[in-house]
Amino acid sequence: MASNAAAVPFWRAAGMTYITYSNICANLVRNCLKEPYRSEAINREKVHFSVAKWVDGKPQKPRDEELWHGNHA
Amino acid sequence: MAMAAFRREGRRFAPLLHPNSITAPRSSLIPQELDPEGVRFISTQVVRNRMKSVKNIQKITKAMKMVAASKLRGVQTKAENSRGLWQPFTALLGDTPSIDVKKNVLVTISSDKGLCGGINSTSVKMSKAIHKLNSGPDKETKYVIVGEKAKAQLVRDSKKDIELNITDLQKIPLNYTQAIFLTLELVLVDKSSQAGLISVLADDILKNVEYDALRVVFNKFHSVVSFMPTMSTVLSPEVVEKEAEAGGRLEGLDSYEIEGGETKSEVLQNLTEFQFSSVLFNAVLENACSEMGARMSAMDSSSRNAGEMLDRLTLTYNRTRQASITTELIEIISGASALEG
Repeated sequence: MASNAAAVPFWRAAGMTYITYSNICANLVRNCLKEPYRSEAINREKVHFSVAKWVDGKPQKPRDEELWHGNHA
Repeated sequence: MAMAAFRREGRRFAPLLHPNSITAPRSSLIPQELDPEGVRFISTQVVRNRMKSVKNIQKITKAMKMVAASKLRGVQTKAENSRGLWQPFTALLGDTPSIDVKKNVLVTISSDKGLCGGINSTSVKMSKAIHKLNSGPDKETKYVIVGEKAKAQLVRDSKKDIELNITDLQKIPLNYTQAIFLTLELVLVDKSSQAGLISVLADDILKNVEYDALRVVFNKFHSVVSFMPTMSTVLSPEVVEKEAEAGGRLEGLDSYEIEGGETKSEVLQNLTEFQFSSVLFNAVLENACSEMGARMSAMDSSSRNAGEMLDRLTLTYNRTRQASITTELIEIISGASALEG
């Protein structure tokens, strides 16, 4: 990460990755749509999965990832 | 018919001779011990029950096939559209499957549910082979497993190398945002900022998987009956830059002009992040598509098998029934003629 190099984009300086940044932008655009397209677009981009990290050959407790995309913007 | 008569005789004498000696070599379709002692006719109850259950199984497999077919249609268009996302990257950066780097991450994509033929074992086999190719004394290769089924297979012999396991992806239709979040799980660059962004992602669990090359293994969808186990490689920006300097396939990168104040390494970093998310998006979709296709053909052949089995059972059933009727008739007629004579 070149976060303290000169002339980095502001979002990278804030520690985001490109895809996080573009995701936030896309979400903003989605929120700008008129109804009913807005809720349609937001519903389309729901996120659901569960992640388990493995340490020494054993799975740790899985963590569910469930976001409605409008929630964190 | 002779067989049936023999069977009846056998039953009559069976308790006298030996309880199981006669029943042993016969087909298990008609277990003799189910008939109560002293029953003169062969019970067709067992075959009837069996026929009923086979018929029900056939119904289920047919329904599963229909469901898979309708799901396939939706996911197929998505998968085909998503190919346009990674193709420009391959045109620009090339595909370098044979690249030799220290830290490899193998993303094995599989399905959560079974009953879909051999697609999961093919991708697991391929991942194992790639793992073997890329392991060495100073190299590190880790698995990231998407889907329940590959986990079950890889746990057996390479659980030490599993880094992360992601399941339940297909509860809702796959979309690009999901791919983004998956990518974030894999290549998270800064933990603290992520925790600020999405409070759900607890920062202590999220340790980034560091990589030089990410290899995504999935089943590429060709048609309903054919899919190819495929690997796409995504390199880290540093490696891409090194490769570009060393010449070779990535040489073409220098002929592009870069706009704005960004340096080449920044552009590359953004590019690889986006490349990885789109490759992953496509891979997940292709695999889902292959899964549905495989399930369709698997369910098709199993309903055909059930049909064949049903035919065989019906034949046995009818033959037995006919035989017992014939014997009964013979008994009546001979009894009558004995009375007359």
